[in-house]
Amino acid sequence: MKKAETKIGRLGIGFAAICLLGAAALSAGAAPDIPHGFDWDGEKIFNRYNETPLSAMTGNDGTRNLNSFYGLRQYPGSPPRIPHAIPPAFADEPYNCISCHGRGGYVAELQAYAPVTPHPENEACFQCHVPRRAEELFVETDWQSINPPALGRSQLGGSPPTIPHPLQLREDCIACHAGPAAVAEIRVEHASRGNCRQCHVPLIVTEPVKEFAR
Amino acid sequence: MTMKLDRRSFIKSAAATSAIATAASLFPGISFAGWEKLEDAAGMITWHKAPCRFCGTGCGVLVGVSGERAVAVKGDPNCSVNKGLCCVKGYHSVQALYGKDRITRAKVRKNGEMVEVPITEALDLIAAKMKETISSHGKDSVAVYGSGQWTIPDGYVASKLFKGCIGTNNVEANARLCMASAVTGFMTSFGIDEPMGCYEDIEHANVFVTWGNNMAEMHPVLFSRMLAARKRNGDVEIIDFATRTTRTSQAADKSILFKPQTDLAVANAICHEIIRNNWVNRDFVNKHVSFRKGLTNIGYGVEDHFQFQDKPEGINFAEFETFLKDYTPERVEKISGVSARDIRYLASLYGDPKKKVTSFWCMGMNQHTRGTWINNLVYNIHLLVGKISTPGNSPFSLTGQPSACGTVREVGTLTHKLPHGVVMNEHDRQMAAEIWNVPVENIDPKPTYHTVEMFRALDRGDIRFIWIQVTNPMVTMPKLKRYRDGALKEDRFIVVSDVYPTPTTDVADVILPAAMWIEQEGMFGNSERRTQHFDEIVPPPGEAMSDTWQLIEVARRLGYEKQFPWSRDEYIGKIWEEYRRFHDSPKHNMAPYEVLRARPGVQWPFVNGRETRWRFNPKYDPACTSGEDFHFYGHKDNRAWIWARPYEPAAESPDQEYNFWLNTGRVVEHWHTGSMTRRVPVLHNAMPSSYVEINPDDAAELGVVNGDMVKIISRRGEVAMPASINGRGVPPRGMVFVPFFDESYLINEVTLDAFCPISKQPDYKKCAVRLEKA
Ligand code: SF4
Repeated sequence: MKKAETKIGRLGIGFAAICLLGAAALSAGAAPDIPHGFDWDGEKIFNRYNETPLSAMTGNDGTRNLNSFYGLRQYPGSPPRIPHAIPPAFADEPYNCISCHGRGGYVAELQAYAPVTPHPENEACFQCHVPRRAEELFVETDWQSINPPALGRSQLGGSPPTIPHPLQLREDCIACHAGPAAVAEIRVEHASRGNCRQCHVPLIVTEPVKEFAR
Repeated sequence: MTMKLDRRSFIKSAAATSAIATAASLFPGISFAGWEKLEDAAGMITWHKAPCRFCGTGCGVLVGVSGERAVAVKGDPNCSVNKGLCCVKGYHSVQALYGKDRITRAKVRKNGEMVEVPITEALDLIAAKMKETISSHGKDSVAVYGSGQWTIPDGYVASKLFKGCIGTNNVEANARLCMASAVTGFMTSFGIDEPMGCYEDIEHANVFVTWGNNMAEMHPVLFSRMLAARKRNGDVEIIDFATRTTRTSQAADKSILFKPQTDLAVANAICHEIIRNNWVNRDFVNKHVSFRKGLTNIGYGVEDHFQFQDKPEGINFAEFETFLKDYTPERVEKISGVSARDIRYLASLYGDPKKKVTSFWCMGMNQHTRGTWINNLVYNIHLLVGKISTPGNSPFSLTGQPSACGTVREVGTLTHKLPHGVVMNEHDRQMAAEIWNVPVENIDPKPTYHTVEMFRALDRGDIRFIWIQVTNPMVTMPKLKRYRDGALKEDRFIVVSDVYPTPTTDVADVILPAAMWIEQEGMFGNSERRTQHFDEIVPPPGEAMSDTWQLIEVARRLGYEKQFPWSRDEYIGKIWEEYRRFHDSPKHNMAPYEVLRARPGVQWPFVNGRETRWRFNPKYDPACTSGEDFHFYGHKDNRAWIWARPYEPAAESPDQEYNFWLNTGRVVEHWHTGSMTRRVPVLHNAMPSSYVEINPDDAAELGVVNGDMVKIISRRGEVAMPASINGRGVPPRGMVFVPFFDESYLINEVTLDAFCPISKQPDYKKCAVRLEKA
């Protein structure tokens, strides 16, 4: 990431144009005029599915992995910090982020595919995601957190793993789990099925397991 | 500062307590799950084919077995239904075998207490009780109530024992509650049951209209097949036509909401527009269609002993056109809430000669007090434009249960049916008597009770003994209290064969432990006329035995050894070959036993070694003999029938006092009453309890937020349950929706036992309730 952080400063606004796909609204696709925001915004999956070419769901450059993924976070589920430098002009123009992170695509300057955000409708990106402008801490911290969820949380050998994380702000499975920028270990090969939650259902690792009893 | 990945500093969490879980997080990419490991398991798995235990889609699964335990599932890549894919229920289905409270021993009620007994003692008691009941109250005082989850042999021996040997038509199955209107729809429109098309229609269609059918949750594998076809072919549209907004609406290209019951009016308006715009396929209609009308104002069956017999009358095209005059889009907009524009749009999709259209439906159209009619009306649309029986042009009635088609519709486990034909028909009775080796006089020519009336008869005391297999009516009967109270009356003897304790085993006098699914050999039949064989893959626990064998044991104790002579190691094959004789014609031929064993499902008619994918089309269907481009051979006039069927209101609609519609149904995680899926940890955790979906504006008016308890009150009863706002689905204002899988919130205390007078199938989608903050 060092390379990225030094390079991007020189990119400026031209950055957006290089992305494979533009900043078109992600709400196109699903049936218009239906209520929104129910079933954990389930329509996001279908919208993403409709507008992502099959090829973009299947490629993988393999550079992002869980180590770098958690390396940007303070605990499982925390908003990742921004690993690359940001031109000052971006500060009040959220669509500059969305132009690459809305749909992903290859960024030549960074020699990387941009990860896709599962919640492009939240446009005040810097409200949660901040860059790192200093390496040194103010004072050392004794911060600890829990384990990230184990991989492969299948109930049976070969059965579809459950969703270990809450769906809040992570409603769009395809954004993170498919395509070239997906984290290698959690990338799926079969995003072309479309209806993700017909096989994968939440079993949140930080919540107690419920036992069925009559 | 980043998250520390030093393992010593991790706070112990549930996920991190085991060494395996920790190792898994340190070595990402390696799969370590938290299940208990089989002792002595060498890690070797053998794979065996079976149809999925749950929905009527009928996915082929491969069950992984280690030792004597089922340990894994994968989709069967050789099965054309699902091509190697499943849904979350299918993938975890084998876990449903291993709930800790599995019933493994027989129990009988002694002095009010259920006590474990050897299964032979329970079987003796059942036979004795049946004899005693018949001798004191007559043969029509004993009944069997089975299921669309019965295997084909289960249903076949039940019918043979009760109709052929005992001589009572008291044979019903829960498929009456889910498929009866589909059957009467087929019989009235085509004269022969079950879809003309097959799932391959999905790859050919340009337009899908889902009529009150939330396929994303109820037929998930077919739904993703549809999504994949849309993605691949491009020129594909999915129209969700429903009374509430669901996951299917989210994925659809267009979602159209109609007011409950008004699908009747909209379907007629679509026909009106097709005729007005001259989109009728005249050639097809002239050659292959004739027109009928039936009785109107046909009632709702809420009273005991309700009788109805339709009187079909021939009409002509002009009369049909006149009938449709009342159904202009503008007028229907007022009834249905669907804009005239949307009605015209729907008509234009069906009418466009360049588009291939597939209509899908299931419970929305079948659980409907005019269920037969709405089935007829959707066929009308397809028939007017000739979009039927060709790849992609398909009015497609889906089923909910794995063998509603195989066991209930094909074997005929309904009061009026025989494996071939109906009890009212002398030839059909003769055929049955001959194959069953019983005197023809044994078979009573008069049907007795359909399901709702059967439970009313139990309440009244006309039925004194009932044997319930593979179903849970004490959760699923509408207007539940009456039927539970009836079952609990003195002098009623209830036998329940099941795999887990349920509210139905709670009312039993005898509980028989049943083999479940792959613990027995059997066959299912899915929605597309596909018969699917499975072996006994793992042994049943304890004294559990197949429902078929339980029936055979009792039949022998009643003196019918001659009719049930088979040995336990070959009875399924023998029963299949006997049953197959009923369907010995190119219209219905079934595959031989050996073929079924070898393949992951075979479609009937199976003629000269070939499956029939599209019926009534001579290119695919060898039963077509007319020499024309289509042959609708079900009716004597060799035509499909278009029916003039009006819009009539629901049995009970919201009013001043009860001002909400109540709609009930399912969710993707649970199947039916949840007696199996709730014992699958991942499914229970994903959907631990039921709820009432309320429109956000109604919720605000009531002053309830997510999770608040809400009382749902009808004229029959009430139930209090947590509110769900913007949860899985969103009902429109004035409607609430409740999934029925949860026995701790028995929504059927509230529902109404009104049914379609033709099919006798109750309407679980419409009754009037009011809400109170609890
Ligand atoms: S779609 Fe139906 S048949 Fe297929 S796996 Fe799911 S529950 Fe089983």
